[in-house]
Amino acid sequence: MDALLRELREGPDGIAEYYDTEISSKALSIGSAADRNIQLLGRGIAPEHAVIVLAGSQLMLECRRGEVVRLNGRKKATARLNVGDVIELAGHRLRIAQPPPGFNAAIELQPNDRIDASAFESAFRTDLSQTWLGKRAMAWTGVVLVLLFGLMLPFFVMKLHHAGTATPSWVPGDKFWNTGPLHQVHQQATGDRCETCHQKLFQRVQDAACTECHRTTHDHIMPARLALTELGPTPRCATCHREHNEPQTFLVNSGDGMCVACHGDPEHGFGEIKLDRVLGFGLQRHPEFKPHLLVSTTAPAGSGLTYEWKTLVAELDQAKEQSNLKFSHQQHLDPDQVLRRGDSKPMNCADCHRLEPDGEHFAPIRMEGQCSSCHELTFDPGAPDRQLPHGKPREVVLTLQDYFTRKFSDPNAGKVTRERRRLPGHEEEEETCTGAPFDCAMRSARKEIESQFTRRGCIGCHAVIDTQAPNVFDRFQVIPIKFARDYFPSNRFDHRSHQIQGKLTGDDACLSCHAAKKSEDASDLMVPGITKCTECHGDKAAAERVTVQCVSCHEYHPRDPSLRDIFSSSPSPRITTQLIPKAARPQERGLGNSAAERMGETKPAPAGELAGS
Amino acid sequence: MIHRNLLSYRGARYLWWSLGLIIASCALYVTQGDSQPPNGGTWQGYVLGTVGALLIVWLTMLGVRKRRYSSTTGTVQGWTSAHVYLGSALIVIATLHSGIQVGWNLHTLAYVLMCVVILSGFFGLYTYMSYPQLISKNREGGARAELFAELFELDRNARSVASRCAPDVAISVDSSIERTTLGGGMYSQLFSRDDSYFVRGEGKPVRNTDQQRVIDFVGARLPRAAKGAEAANLQQLIVLLCRRQAVLRRIRRDIRLYGWLKIWLYFHVPITIALLVALVLHIVVTFFYW
Repeated sequence: MDALLRELREGPDGIAEYYDTEISSKALSIGSAADRNIQLLGRGIAPEHAVIVLAGSQLMLECRRGEVVRLNGRKKATARLNVGDVIELAGHRLRIAQPPPGFNAAIELQPNDRIDASAFESAFRTDLSQTWLGKRAMAWTGVVLVLLFGLMLPFFVMKLHHAGTATPSWVPGDKFWNTGPLHQVHQQATGDRCETCHQKLFQRVQDAACTECHRTTHDHIMPARLALTELGPTPRCATCHREHNEPQTFLVNSGDGMCVACHGDPEHGFGEIKLDRVLGFGLQRHPEFKPHLLVSTTAPAGSGLTYEWKTLVAELDQAKEQSNLKFSHQQHLDPDQVLRRGDSKPMNCADCHRLEPDGEHFAPIRMEGQCSSCHELTFDPGAPDRQLPHGKPREVVLTLQDYFTRKFSDPNAGKVTRERRRLPGHEEEEETCTGAPFDCAMRSARKEIESQFTRRGCIGCHAVIDTQAPNVFDRFQVIPIKFARDYFPSNRFDHRSHQIQGKLTGDDACLSCHAAKKSEDASDLMVPGITKCTECHGDKAAAERVTVQCVSCHEYHPRDPSLRDIFSSSPSPRITTQLIPKAARPQERGLGNSAAERMGETKPAPAGELAGS
Repeated sequence: MIHRNLLSYRGARYLWWSLGLIIASCALYVTQGDSQPPNGGTWQGYVLGTVGALLIVWLTMLGVRKRRYSSTTGTVQGWTSAHVYLGSALIVIATLHSGIQVGWNLHTLAYVLMCVVILSGFFGLYTYMSYPQLISKNREGGARAELFAELFELDRNARSVASRCAPDVAISVDSSIERTTLGGGMYSQLFSRDDSYFVRGEGKPVRNTDQQRVIDFVGARLPRAAKGAEAANLQQLIVLLCRRQAVLRRIRRDIRLYGWLKIWLYFHVPITIALLVALVLHIVVTFFYW
């Protein structure tokens, strides 16, 4: 459209002057920006404020969104414009005039002279508040996002999980509430299902959630024993086992604090249970060790000689091993007295004591495994390949009887002699029998049996009772041998990690704790006391000390809860019973192992059956 | 100097408060680790968390206090000084509270929001310390409105002189004025983006960054000016365009400095609000899944 803009200005002499401008454009733009057809400055005038367009022959005013003008004194955003209409904008007046020929529109502009040129700034966006940035909008956005991902979505997913509906792992649900990683095994077992452990809102994780999987874990104190105390309920699992932490090695609480909280003051709250005070690991802070020993007692039981093995807790300085074995460590470790068969080298500890895979216990010492390579059970120098059976006194008697019967009844044999033991400096002594072969055989067998049980065979290692019974099967009773497998059954000790102690290795490491070279009797309990341990260990980090906590040696959750009973106020020693039956009695010969086991008893004298660590 | 007073308010008393708070927090932190690693769930962690949460609430109260002109609870300057120092201490306290255990979770979100708020505060402090001097140096004592008034007059005079020149010169100058950009969006304000164009005779708009090309265009016409009056007009026009260039530079720099002086608040304040919500959720959720 073609428009004529007539600007009315007051000249320097006070006379009004007209400045005419011809404008040819699609629309007549009004605003404070420099590229407007009609540039007006002032408060409230936007850079692009309004346009005047020609619709047919009708002039129309259209304001920008959010902007208005005063048309004939009224606020308008859009309007039809007729000749004579006055548009007011920040004091500027635009009057629609009759267009002269050749023009579509004519406008008379009477500018507001009081408007300062400094209002020109409004033509531009010069402040951050005029941009998309807005504190309020951004705050609301932030609040909504935090509420959405921090509360609503997790809550929704939690409800779904409780209803048994699985959600894909990429959905950010209540795992967004996770305070830290789970232990890998727990993570694998539970996935992202928080409700596996957190079963109710605002409720701490209950032990039932733990024992759902950890069924075989025993509590620190059995309920019956706990009832004897005034300690109240045992702590929740999560009191010690704190999940969602890094590093995860802390999942097992290794601090002494909680142990000492109770065991540091056993006079209070422990009720009938009497325990020593423990304040940590040190000479004055921890009581001396108390080994669990096996003690055998004989008692007549029915028709046989019964051995009862009781476990007794003893003071270390008074503790005596009562295995019934005759053995000298000192002798075996002395190269002047004993050398290994085969390579003729001095014996090592490991020749007999073999560490089990657990690194703590040793394989039981057995005649067949450890002793027989040197100590053969030969009985006739003339038949060095014949040996007596071990561990079966009745078989020994039968073997000897059989051997001599065969020897005396052999028609091809010449003069049958029974060789006596060759002793250095003694001439070979021969004994000749001239009676019936069977009588001769029985007489020789009887002599050899007496010799084996009382002078040179079994008697070397075992205690043998000569009952003087007329029946040879009943006459000799070999006292059974048994070692405690573990002197401290509810504690841990890693022999393997102690096999190298500074510069000590091999036997030197063993002998630094176990005084085997001085032990002449198997009754010596070579378990070192706490003094030995504290040479290297303490409960506080210190120079040349390796720190140990309570749980380094003790178990909070007992492997075998019955072991704890030994400490109870009314001692009830665990008893294992071994029956030595009257094996010679013909009517008992048919008694099999299974029947004996059903009675809770075992067969007699399995020498060296058990060996302790 | 407001910033000097802000940091050295009453002998930097809040600096010592804040250092004391940091030392006490560190001392508390190192007593952890016996039965579990340092984290927000030990009693020391709870104490550090409570102190941190109370600090966050108190720091937020500055926004309320500075609007209460009639309040006599300390001076706004004292509050701001304490806000700066204790806010700095908060980053240490919250880090100790977390036990430096972070993950993709709500708790770390709250921590990150807090860090963004504090770091934006540090940036704000830096701009408050250095930008006002730069701004007043740029304006040489005047106000921004004066620069705009000058620009308007230069525009008007340049158009007037250009109208007496050859048509292509008039079009160039008119279009360069019409298509001069100033400020604009956030990026344009902060980085003084200049999208100015002008129409050079042939009718195609060309870039006119820093108004240099329109000046070059008019200047190139000078040697070819035939009549004395035309040469005088062109010379006058060049003077006006160069003055205009200088004023525009100043205005652009003013807008940029002002933008940087204010931008941090557009993050500091809204993220503080989001942080408050995240903080409440952090506390509640901790006890949801105890």
